[in-house]
Amino acid sequence: MKNKKCLVALIPFLLIIVLFEIAPLISIVVKSFSPVDEVGFTLEHFVKILITDLYLNSIKGSLIIAIISSIVGIIISFFGAKAAHSDKKIGKVFRMILNITSNFAGIPLAFAFIILLGNTGVITLFSKNLGFDLLNVFDLYSINGLILTYVYFQIPLATLLLLPSFDLIKKEWKEAVELLGGSKFVYWFKVVIPNLLPSILGTFSVLFANAIAAYATGYALLSSNAMLLSVRISEQFVGDLVQAKEFGSALAVVLMVIMVIATQILNRIQKHFKGGIE
Amino acid sequence: MKKNILLDKVIMLFISIYLLLPLILTFIYSIFNEWTSILPSGFTLKYYIQVLTDPLFIASLLRSLIISFIPVLVCTLAMILVFYVTTLYFPKLERIIEILCTIPYSIQGIIIAVGVLSLYSGIGGMLSNRFLLLVGTYCIIILPYVYRGLKNSLNAIHVHTLIEAGQMLGCSKPKAFFSIILPNMLSGIVVSMMISISMIFADFVIVNIIGGSYFQTASMYLYKAMSKSGQITSAIIVVLFMTTLLISKIVTNIENKTKRKEK
Repeated sequence: MKNKKCLVALIPFLLIIVLFEIAPLISIVVKSFSPVDEVGFTLEHFVKILITDLYLNSIKGSLIIAIISSIVGIIISFFGAKAAHSDKKIGKVFRMILNITSNFAGIPLAFAFIILLGNTGVITLFSKNLGFDLLNVFDLYSINGLILTYVYFQIPLATLLLLPSFDLIKKEWKEAVELLGGSKFVYWFKVVIPNLLPSILGTFSVLFANAIAAYATGYALLSSNAMLLSVRISEQFVGDLVQAKEFGSALAVVLMVIMVIATQILNRIQKHFKGGIE
Repeated sequence: MKKNILLDKVIMLFISIYLLLPLILTFIYSIFNEWTSILPSGFTLKYYIQVLTDPLFIASLLRSLIISFIPVLVCTLAMILVFYVTTLYFPKLERIIEILCTIPYSIQGIIIAVGVLSLYSGIGGMLSNRFLLLVGTYCIIILPYVYRGLKNSLNAIHVHTLIEAGQMLGCSKPKAFFSIILPNMLSGIVVSMMISISMIFADFVIVNIIGGSYFQTASMYLYKAMSKSGQITSAIIVVLFMTTLLISKIVTNIENKTKRKEK
């Protein structure tokens, strides 16, 4: 009986969880199936998403940018982490640079790229002086520009996440492969990468989640012209439009579903490869 | 083998250039009057003076610091109480607490913000207060990190041995928790608090959705400045970035100190 009294100490926690985690999540799901200002059940919001180009393109845009920036980010980070692991001395400085730049994201990042590669950016002007118009090849205010900025914030995060897993590689593996007459290719693709795969896939899912919901960078670069799901969601609640709670909730549910599917796919892949190793 | 080491250096060099270039350029941009030809011209600090003497900026910076600190404090205190209950009396609750605390990690901040706003805005009363909504939402956003941080620092000490020892010396369980266990967790608590503070400090999406025009933080001030002047914007960015670095510097200092102690 006396022990039960101490459950009172859980009240603040439960209050926060119920009010700001559970109730809002339930409310989003319920609202996404509710007609505007009425009680009832409807699929109209989801139908609207599926037949409107703006929303379809934004979902597509978010997916493309998230997938490409995560893949590019993880490949670059793999080599970065490998380099930092084998060259400990410079690796230390490199790690410091990663730590510092991992704080550089969102609006500051978008702005830095605008002064670097925007219409009057430093590199743009520089290339013009050399008689070559960069804007013909690369437009920062496009999906390519978004990918470039997204890759930027993926690299520090991915490298820092991958670095510890390189400590798992044992020296003996390399000797064993060499002893058995295996090439470098065999060593990397048959030994190292399969062993690192769990952390590579884990990192990939963090990157994907990070990119699919990223908002500030894209919004600062393209404002509401950004073809991003996160921008579509937030504009239902902020700005000139009248708040469209039900429709915004439906878009949020789409984002949740994407996250769930992505996690499931990555889990499957991970299981598949795990089975392969054992 | 030599060739490989050179290659590693080149890789790190290229990544570092890619990462540092935007940062350094923003800084250079903020201390020169003009940058229309290849080299910038007219060194000046006037943009910094302009930014730092703007009462609107100072007010928004203060708001950012306040809104970064309060949710972290609330969330940490609530979590300490939770761990008090689970470690001493109901270890079985631990499992469900863990699930509740990790849900926000897989559900993005934007979703929680949208949920909170659509549920509470316009219903009137205390719950439609935007500041309160922001505090609550941020508590949930940082919850996975606060939970992890506290859990790890709790795992690092021998809780039950310490409590038993305390009891043998005539100390009650609650007293043992708050006067022996908690002080031992302190550096871990501070580290996870600082990490959470810097997360909230940099946030734009949540404050933009929930705060709107009701609660202007530094990142919203920054967004508005972008359309006005490039130099001022870059000066703001440098100031905010320095603040973030200062916070993470404090974190690493505390971490190093505790590591040394453990040795």
